[in-house]
Amino acid sequence: MIGLEEQNQLFLLMGQKLKRKIECYVIGGSAMLYYNMKSATKDVDIVFDKEEDRNEVIKLLREIGYSERGIKVEVIYVKKKNVPVLLQKDDTRIDLFFEKIITTRLTDSMKDRIRQVYDFANLTIKVLAPEDIIFLKCATERAGDRVDAVNILKKVSVNWNVISEEAQLQTKLGEHLFPVYLFDFLYELKEDLKAEIPAGVLREIRKMAEDLLEEKLGRKEKKRKPGKRKVH
Amino acid sequence: MKESIEQVLRKLEGLNTLDLVQKKLNIRKSTAVKKLCQLRKLGFVETSGGGKQPRLYRVSRLKIKKTGNPGLYDIINQNSPIKLVKPYEHRIVGRKLSIEEGIVMAVKTENFRVVLAALALFNKIRDWSRLYHYAKKEGVRRKIGVLYDVARAVIRVRRMPKKTRKLLLRAREKGRHIIPLIKAKDFLDISREWKIYVPFNKADLARYKE
Repeated sequence: MIGLEEQNQLFLLMGQKLKRKIECYVIGGSAMLYYNMKSATKDVDIVFDKEEDRNEVIKLLREIGYSERGIKVEVIYVKKKNVPVLLQKDDTRIDLFFEKIITTRLTDSMKDRIRQVYDFANLTIKVLAPEDIIFLKCATERAGDRVDAVNILKKVSVNWNVISEEAQLQTKLGEHLFPVYLFDFLYELKEDLKAEIPAGVLREIRKMAEDLLEEKLGRKEKKRKPGKRKVH
Repeated sequence: MKESIEQVLRKLEGLNTLDLVQKKLNIRKSTAVKKLCQLRKLGFVETSGGGKQPRLYRVSRLKIKKTGNPGLYDIINQNSPIKLVKPYEHRIVGRKLSIEEGIVMAVKTENFRVVLAALALFNKIRDWSRLYHYAKKEGVRRKIGVLYDVARAVIRVRRMPKKTRKLLLRAREKGRHIIPLIKAKDFLDISREWKIYVPFNKADLARYKE
């Protein structure tokens, strides 16, 4: 586990050792530390938008004693070129992503919504907005992520429009049905963890998910029966 | 019935004036002052303004715990009569942001309002060689020079040493725009001398004379 102080010391050390300016984004538990929503996190999650920046940070972390974690990421991300790099030194684990976090892309809209920026010498850390932290957590299956999302909802007023618009945007960018994941995730939060989510928001996201599913299924049906046409 | 802190914070979340707090909680002025004071001690309230400007209370449900030292927007708001709304909280960790670095950082943002507000920082410069050092590092020496001359034409600023001026004028850097695609019609002589387009018209700088 790593707290805010240790995380800052790590970033400062990285920033002082880097030879040129590098920008990156923190997500998940690491971002929650800056919002004072969590006291410690299991791993530091960093996203880069330039691959050469990530490579330079990986090289630097290896120099200061970090090594690959014993997980074969290729097994989880089969046939994927862009896989995260998972490093570890003692108790500290660092996950380094490039552009994509599992299935979600780091979009320009997410970058525009950043709430905090920290300059650690040559390393600039940008903290994603709480709405985006929740959104990134909806595509995972971990129980801890649901608890984190409830904690965020307790501490800030979330702009639900931002979350639903991001779900639509992410669906346009990739093949995943984000509104469906989002509805499942939020429904679970409301029913099981008693999170305060307005019924109207759930209704709207459900409608969006249903429309999207109908659209996708309709397209598949059309693909299966190419010869059949309606006769007027 | 007494409200819990959580309930009070939910009602007050966001930017408030004292009158607004009175209305939202339906309490007297003295009670509102006391309430805000208590919340500030707990770390839920940040105050700004005062004097000629109205006193504003920013209430957040999260305890505000600031890491590091003030960033670009804080430095500008402390030293310039033109205030900026922070698009995000900017903090510097491990060192303090100097006025000289702040000016260079403001130019690098390529944001009209930020550069305009940063002109006032030229009056606070103590170390001109440090300004030159940062300007050289970021490749904005001519831009800094032209902005200094514009600032000097409108507001009272400290005199730049001849040596620094010569060095800034001698710089060969790419790019003629301080703000992309913006080229004003005033200050043409300054613009010609530095070979950089000034983004401000005289009317833009009128706020410095108010």
